[in-house]
Amino acid sequence: MKRFSIAALATILIFAPLAFAQTQDRSSAEEETLKKLDHSWLDAEKRLDIAYCEKFFADSYVLVFPNGQVYTKKQWLDVLRGPDHPVITFLDPEDIKVHLHGNVAILTDHTTLKGHDSKGNSMDGEFNVFRVVIKKNGNWQAAGVVMNAIAAKK
Amino acid sequence: MKFAYGLAATFLVIIATATLTLGQTPNESGASDEAGTIAVMDHIWLDAAHNRDPGTMEWLFAKDFVEIHPGGEIVDKKEQIDQIKDPTRQIKEIHPDDIDVRYLSSDVAMLLDTTTIRGLSGGVDYNGTYKVIRVFVKEQGRWKAAGAGIAPIKP
Repeated sequence: MKRFSIAALATILIFAPLAFAQTQDRSSAEEETLKKLDHSWLDAEKRLDIAYCEKFFADSYVLVFPNGQVYTKKQWLDVLRGPDHPVITFLDPEDIKVHLHGNVAILTDHTTLKGHDSKGNSMDGEFNVFRVVIKKNGNWQAAGVVMNAIAAKK
Repeated sequence: MKFAYGLAATFLVIIATATLTLGQTPNESGASDEAGTIAVMDHIWLDAAHNRDPGTMEWLFAKDFVEIHPGGEIVDKKEQIDQIKDPTRQIKEIHPDDIDVRYLSSDVAMLLDTTTIRGLSGGVDYNGTYKVIRVFVKEQGRWKAAGAGIAPIKP
């Protein structure tokens, strides 16, 4: 009995760190996936890839601009596919941080935007962005975004 | 006789299991209850900020909590709680309206609200209304706040 207990304890001590390491690896791999997803997402918006956005945005998707203006999925896709769509020449996220909580991840990033609206008004700016992605049926989907213009340092 | 007891016991098990299953099946009312819970959590969060209550925030915030403030400042759990404790910050009023639970599953909730703030922080006037996305996650059976993104509503 004692020999059995020692063997069981030894097994636990050997495999527990391995299981922990595997969990860490999975989490780290998921973080890399999500960072790449952030880039793919902004690339798709830059080139007005409506098919990508249609699939990637959850039905509950909501986008909040730095002025507090809110767009639902349908409203934002209508803007992108409409005649008054913005012209984006540069859209790149940097310093992406992934906060993973199982089936939801919050990404924060520093996004640089260069472009103009349909009337030619500049949209250039630097933003810290809060992005929410949710995992549904094994696939990540965008659920929400809040953009914040970075206040000029005094 | 033994057979009769066995049959009765089997029926009892079936009825008990069916009742439990029905109770666990998500339905409109269940989803509505959860959405109500999330809305209450939103109020608890802002009441804790208003009352400068770090204990409630410690209880409410997930370990990997993150928030982006108006102006783009990104803070983690500790930084957010430290700010709430800071005596130079004054929050005279803070409350959410128009709470819209945009996404709800068994372990994730995301809402959009309009938050009104009257206050000063480091000499900066925070008076105004804000559009806020708040995210909640269920950890070990309890909802926790995972993060928030806040943007000022400009006239």
